[in-house]
Amino acid sequence: MTQDATAPVIETRGLVKRYDGELAVAGIDLVVGAGEIYGLVGPNGAGKTTTMRILATLLAPTAGEATVCGIDVTADPTEVRRRIGYMPDFYGVYDDLRVWEYLDFFARCYSVPAARRAGMIGELLEIVGLADKREAYVEALSRGMRQRLCLAHTLVHDPQLLILDEPASGLDPRARVETREILRELRGMGKTILVSSHILPELAELCTSVGIIDHGRLLRSGRIEEIERSLRATALLRIDVVSDPAAAIDWLGTDERVGDVLEISSERGVARLEVHFDGTPDEEAALLHGMIEAGHRVSSFTQATSDLEEIFLKVTGHDEETAA
Amino acid sequence: MTTATIAPRRRASRLRLFGASVATIMVKELRSRFRGRRAFVVITAYVAVLALIAYGAYVGVAPTAQLQNPFPDELGGVSLAGANPSATIGQAIFTLLSVVQLLLVCFIAPAFTAGAISLEREKQTLDLLVTTPMRPGGIVIGKLFSSLAFVVLLILAGIPVSALVLMYGGASLADILQQQVVLFVSAIGFGVIGLFFSALVKRTQTATVLTYSTMLFLVLGSFLVFRFWTQAATAAPDNTFGTVRTAPEALLYLNPAVAMIEIVASTEIQPGDYSEIMSQIRGVCTGDLCFPTDGGGGGVAPPGLKEVAPAEDTGIFLGVVAGDCPPNARCAFPGPQPAVFEPQPAANHFWPRYAATFGVVSLLLTLASMSLVVPARGRFRLPPIRRAGPGASTGTEADR
Repeated sequence: MTQDATAPVIETRGLVKRYDGELAVAGIDLVVGAGEIYGLVGPNGAGKTTTMRILATLLAPTAGEATVCGIDVTADPTEVRRRIGYMPDFYGVYDDLRVWEYLDFFARCYSVPAARRAGMIGELLEIVGLADKREAYVEALSRGMRQRLCLAHTLVHDPQLLILDEPASGLDPRARVETREILRELRGMGKTILVSSHILPELAELCTSVGIIDHGRLLRSGRIEEIERSLRATALLRIDVVSDPAAAIDWLGTDERVGDVLEISSERGVARLEVHFDGTPDEEAALLHGMIEAGHRVSSFTQATSDLEEIFLKVTGHDEETAA
Repeated sequence: MTTATIAPRRRASRLRLFGASVATIMVKELRSRFRGRRAFVVITAYVAVLALIAYGAYVGVAPTAQLQNPFPDELGGVSLAGANPSATIGQAIFTLLSVVQLLLVCFIAPAFTAGAISLEREKQTLDLLVTTPMRPGGIVIGKLFSSLAFVVLLILAGIPVSALVLMYGGASLADILQQQVVLFVSAIGFGVIGLFFSALVKRTQTATVLTYSTMLFLVLGSFLVFRFWTQAATAAPDNTFGTVRTAPEALLYLNPAVAMIEIVASTEIQPGDYSEIMSQIRGVCTGDLCFPTDGGGGGVAPPGLKEVAPAEDTGIFLGVVAGDCPPNARCAFPGPQPAVFEPQPAANHFWPRYAATFGVVSLLLTLASMSLVVPARGRFRLPPIRRAGPGASTGTEADR
């Protein structure tokens, strides 16, 4: 079971999961390399949780295969379990245990030797910022603290891969930031992390790669920059004109690289146009130059920043258009 | 080839993992169960209740026992007219304690196990457990052991109270041991039934209802079925001679009450034979044509059995007067029998059959529960047929 550093930690081929005839996962090919933080993004019911549960050996796939560290999840689930730390989207904690007992229990579950347990529990509590709660009952922890405790429990056996299903859902902004900081620290420790979310900004600055998933299919997958670049081809320009917007729209329509032009608002003599433009930054500059030369009074010319949210909407929207 | 050589080592490590899983779950469960004063209070209360009942039996029986038999027989402590008053008191205490403890165990044991698995499901902690490398079977056994640990502790704590009987006589050490066997078997059996339902259904509430329904059926229902069956068969039109046609005795093999009654009814001073007690239970005994026992039964009928032996004017349960040698009973001479019978060999007792049957059923249910907790497998589904190789996947997905 030796594993070379470049081999993917997660690999699925044609993964399908059907619940009573309903397709939850419709053929997903996912590859996550070592050391990546891979964000699985998609609306509720897209198949994120199902995919993660298959990888966590909780569900058997209907078809296709999935390997973690080169081990098939259905053929040898116990070996897979030793290599992953899994945090479900909904989970409970044992209220009647103390914080250290909780971690001690899971360390025993993973057969961590007694000599290592005590020190390790201290370290983990330090990482998740619960060191001062060591003797407290789990019952008495706030929601954010429980979330962090659950995160700590995934680390007791020093796994290669963390599978975190919506780790920041239901948390207040401050707790979210704390969770994000912990994940960043874990990335620094060289862990591969598969994390899901339906809220995009949560993942945007954290992940090295993202997969956009909808209706059980992986629509896009890759490094964030790559995905952005592939979508940048049809950039969205925001142009504010103070002259006659209709004339400007007509003028823009003559350029063959310009796609749809929409007037999205018109306030106090400023009309904001959204222009789909298929060209390089150089050509964008030429377009602006041309507009001004043609006598249109432009007060603002910006490229709408395509953050993860927009990428997501674009990708899922595009999919729906082609499906229709 | 290679798999054949790896197999034994793998099996050994699996076994070790199984043991470690049991220990891990037990440590956690016992930690939370025995924390604080709760366990201490419950055990104290349990023993106090038993002691109070023993005292009540003494207070209730002692005056009558003295009156009935003011001159104990010097020869064996047992006379034809009635038992030694001390033995009568002992007998009363033994009967009451046996019945009460059985009742408590029947209700307490499932209470601990009926939520063992389903609570983990409800509190959504089961996913965290089964994604660890622990063996699912080990989790189930750990849960069972830790749940039973408390009940076992209760039963053990009750032994000194039961041992009071040895001071009075009326029941021997062997009787007390038999009583303990039935208590333990019942605790384990009903515990396992609770565990099974807990693993089978999603909600604790459903599991609890199913468990207690099963318990009541085994204690009362099976007995009623037995009685109705016997009466219906006997009353059948083709039964021209009116012979008693008994229902299959196996119907009662899971009935703890019958087992306990048999033990209570065949002690030192009322050494009833299994077949006599069974005929009593069958309702064969009518009038004075019944197996003989003397007084001192304590007058408490275990639940469900009141209708079997309608308390006669003496208010004594199970067997009333000396009478003719009953069918199937070993009698030294024909005609009316004295109140004392020879102790019967254990082979002709009912309780070992109960213990053996319930033991086997418990084992099967435990195995069933273990397979129900395995993740990545649908419930109510048989385990998948082992694939030929690790790489062979079911690639039936059609091209898109």
